[in-house]
Amino acid sequence: MRDILKMIIVLTIIGAVSGLVLSLVYDGTKAPIEYQTIKFVKEPAVKKVLTGYDNDPIADRKKITIGEDEKGTPIDLIIFPAKKQGATFAVALEGKGKGFGGLIGVMVGVSKDGTLLDIGITSHSETPGIGARVSETFFTDRFKGLKTNQEVKVDGISGATYSSAGVMAAVTQALGYVTTFSKEIFS
Amino acid sequence: MTIKDEFTKGLWQTIPPFRLVLGLCPTLATTTSGLNGMGMGLATTFVLVFSNLFVSLLRRFIPNQVRIASFIVIIASFVVIVELVMQAYFYPLFKILGIFIPLIVVNCIILGRAEAFASKQGPLASLADGLGIGLGFTISLFVLGCIRELLGSGTLLDIPVMWSTFEPFTFMLKPPGAFVALGILLAAMNCISQVQARKGG
Repeated sequence: MRDILKMIIVLTIIGAVSGLVLSLVYDGTKAPIEYQTIKFVKEPAVKKVLTGYDNDPIADRKKITIGEDEKGTPIDLIIFPAKKQGATFAVALEGKGKGFGGLIGVMVGVSKDGTLLDIGITSHSETPGIGARVSETFFTDRFKGLKTNQEVKVDGISGATYSSAGVMAAVTQALGYVTTFSKEIFS
Repeated sequence: MTIKDEFTKGLWQTIPPFRLVLGLCPTLATTTSGLNGMGMGLATTFVLVFSNLFVSLLRRFIPNQVRIASFIVIIASFVVIVELVMQAYFYPLFKILGIFIPLIVVNCIILGRAEAFASKQGPLASLADGLGIGLGFTISLFVLGCIRELLGSGTLLDIPVMWSTFEPFTFMLKPPGAFVALGILLAAMNCISQVQARKGG
């Protein structure tokens, strides 16, 4: 009986101490991890879809709340504004759509008048050589010039119907955010 | 065995993964370049040193029946610390090593040292043992990574070193190439050991 009690107590103490330490480390690294993820995953896409700005869209990023999940925690959307002499003329934001192998993240650049500037794929798990071709410029270029009030429909890639549709869905979602929250986004 | 012996034995006598044939999974999977191998080795060393130290400090406090569970909790905690810190400050390396960082938890070298050494020895000896074995592992991974990188992509530490008409053996970057390189290195080490033994009489 004493042995069992000792085992329980020792394991509990070790577990509790390591849990405490890990939560402290997590808190300490949370901000740098967020920054690194944005820098390495989002920055190349943001740079691709926005041009002609004189600010740093990554540093000037802002969060707007676009809704709540089922538990009531707010869902944030990160906006990367492109500014010229302090005035926002275009923004980049990310939409997600279901592709063949999971969600496809697409960074969409939209100018203030509602024209789609360019898109860049931030994350995907599509089949290499087939669905993954959606991240090549010959396909992403097809989205240039679309309007926010227009239906997102471009020619897909043969053999990669699901992936093409996933990208279109992601762009539709992003453009939807722009229409719904245009006041907050371009303020 | 003195503290110094505990440290140096990991560098040749029981150098993992060659002498202590443990921890082959990360060895084969992450050594596609010298720097990747070194990053994996250093991450493992960090976990090994601190898990050895804490296992040794707590060895009288942990009941024998739950020792493995306790060791795993200690090891897993350090692995998560490595993972978070690497993600926060060395993101590109974190991306490349990927799943093999959390898999350090089940690396046999670490549990093996905790069970066979640190749970029976004092903190100083355990620290030296962890450092030695860890550095040995790092050196092995670095050398293996350099060989594969040199033959597989014609670069060394990301700097092109081969002549311009060199056609890289991409085979060396694939998993079978890792076995080939590991086998050749092991053969070379055995050869050196035999020559040494003969000289010694």
